[in-house]
Amino acid sequence: MLLTLFYTAAAVAVISTALVVTQLNAVHALLYLILSLIASAVVFYLMGAYFAALLEVIVYAGAVMVLFLFVVMLLNLGQRTIEQEQAWLQPGSWRGPAVLAGVLLTELLWVLATGSAAETGHVVSSKEVGIRLFGPYVLAVELASMLLLAGLVGAYHLARRGGRLR
Amino acid sequence: MSAAAIGSAELTALLPIVTLGTTAVVVLLWIAFRRNHAEAVWLTLGGLSATLLALAPAAGTGPRDVTGLLRIDGYALFFIALFCLAAIIVVLLARDYLRERAEQPEEFYLLLLTSLLGASVLAASTHFASFFLGLETLSISLFPLIAYATRDARALEAATKYLVLSGVASGFLLFGMALVYAETGSLAFGGTAPAATAVLQAGAVLILVGVGFKLSFFPFHLWTADVYQGAPAPVTALLATVSKGAVFAVLLRYGVDAPLARLPMSETVLGTLAGASMLIGNLAALAQHNLKRLLAYSSIAHMGYLLLAVIAMQRIGPALAAETLGFYLAAYTLTTLAAFGVMTAMSPADREAEEIGDYAGLFWTRPAIALLLTLSLLSLAGIPLTAGFIGKFYLFIAASHAALWPLLGLFVVGSGLGLYYYLRVIFRMAASVGEGTAPGPSGALQVSLGTEAALAFLGLSIAVLGLLPASLIDFLAAEALR
Repeated sequence: MLLTLFYTAAAVAVISTALVVTQLNAVHALLYLILSLIASAVVFYLMGAYFAALLEVIVYAGAVMVLFLFVVMLLNLGQRTIEQEQAWLQPGSWRGPAVLAGVLLTELLWVLATGSAAETGHVVSSKEVGIRLFGPYVLAVELASMLLLAGLVGAYHLARRGGRLR
Repeated sequence: MSAAAIGSAELTALLPIVTLGTTAVVVLLWIAFRRNHAEAVWLTLGGLSATLLALAPAAGTGPRDVTGLLRIDGYALFFIALFCLAAIIVVLLARDYLRERAEQPEEFYLLLLTSLLGASVLAASTHFASFFLGLETLSISLFPLIAYATRDARALEAATKYLVLSGVASGFLLFGMALVYAETGSLAFGGTAPAATAVLQAGAVLILVGVGFKLSFFPFHLWTADVYQGAPAPVTALLATVSKGAVFAVLLRYGVDAPLARLPMSETVLGTLAGASMLIGNLAALAQHNLKRLLAYSSIAHMGYLLLAVIAMQRIGPALAAETLGFYLAAYTLTTLAAFGVMTAMSPADREAEEIGDYAGLFWTRPAIALLLTLSLLSLAGIPLTAGFIGKFYLFIAASHAALWPLLGLFVVGSGLGLYYYLRVIFRMAASVGEGTAPGPSGALQVSLGTEAALAFLGLSIAVLGLLPASLIDFLAAEALR
């Protein structure tokens, strides 16, 4: 049974990702991208990686994607963009994401109701992840911090005011 | 104590990498409180020198695995030393270049240090996690560096191209790593699989595609010329030497460590990439009138040549392959730095001297600079008595020992084509002052003592490596992959 759930969630992920690529409208594409990330969170959940599933939802679908969506929608303010946003969010455009999200929700409720164990038979707890990260992979954590530092400084420099194209 | 623990010996081995990271943080904090170009330069130079000094105690600990992610051995330390040397020269060049152009030049050095950190991690990595993190640290630092100085539209275009293609390449790489992991169950390079399944082969090919983008092998080379042209000359120098050298270092390490890199299919794929890169790179370079684009296409060919060492590794053993790669990369790094150093020194404040016409009659107006560029181009072409010749000789030996005859043929043909377009630039420099656009030294950048010293060092080392290669060869033979 869990295998069926897994394949359904994976199919949702693949379909929504394909729709991200084919959508012409940036906002619609982003809606599908959020869905794709949530679908992979469900896949993680079904495999017993609860912590990774949680991070996927909070960090990617939550913070990063909503930020993307806001940036795209806030790029140009004014009356014209309000009309544009209304045009973007026609009832028709949220039907697709809603159906796919509904599939995922049904799956989640099913798993919660039946209380079935993880497909792999092993649940990865956040404690285990922490011990790994600060044990054998401690250098990777340090490196990732330098990577983020480089990204931050680069973004600061490029987005700085006062620069002018010539 | 478990194998993964970090004791004092491991910390000593990590000292060069820790020093680099510390320098980056110190420069960051210093900039936060005091914005001063000269101070940032001195701090960076001090940190890089400290890193070079830290190599000695690190070498004393012998080949040592640190937490399974990194292996600090002679091979890694040699490349870290080479990258630090290249970075010192780039700092000296960038100091003059940025003084005239950028509004806030200080972050340049910070990003240079983080890119160097990524490159050093790559040279030492034996694990997909450190491979990916090192590569991303290197690439993420390079995007803002490419768009750094002039804020002109072309630099931004180059940075955007590099960003997008780098992202695509990283995607391929990650997907390949995931497939390999699915079969081997290990993220370490040495992970083994019971059989060479289709999934494993697909993973290996995807990893090669990702690496191929970064090294600009033939079908993945389209970004190279535009990015080289758009980036500031010192950054192009960094991109052409440190970034490519680091990826090559990790590619050879992967080839040596990973049993699945020795699939028969890998040799075919790599051979095709190498042959096509040599041919296409050289043919495209023939038509260029822009020195930066010419060097970009010739770099594609050089990367193709270098791939010979990696392919030959399976037949001639890792020691000779590492020696070949080490020598060729050292020669190529010094030579390319010299070429872009001359370009930096020749560029007026408002543009870059990138057209071949800018160099017409240079022998009569600025003989020292012209001599250095000639030396560098001759070394790239592989003329005897230069470092490039010994490098090519090494490759020739490696390829003929491995009996890679078709590739060796392409290597010879490519070198012949290369000679033509390198000599064209040299002839242009020897043209008499009257004809064409004669650039006086008047419009060019005010060159400081630091740049002059860096250029003199480069010229000298190209000549010394060409005349007395034994010094480096002995070192490489003793220190190469053990």
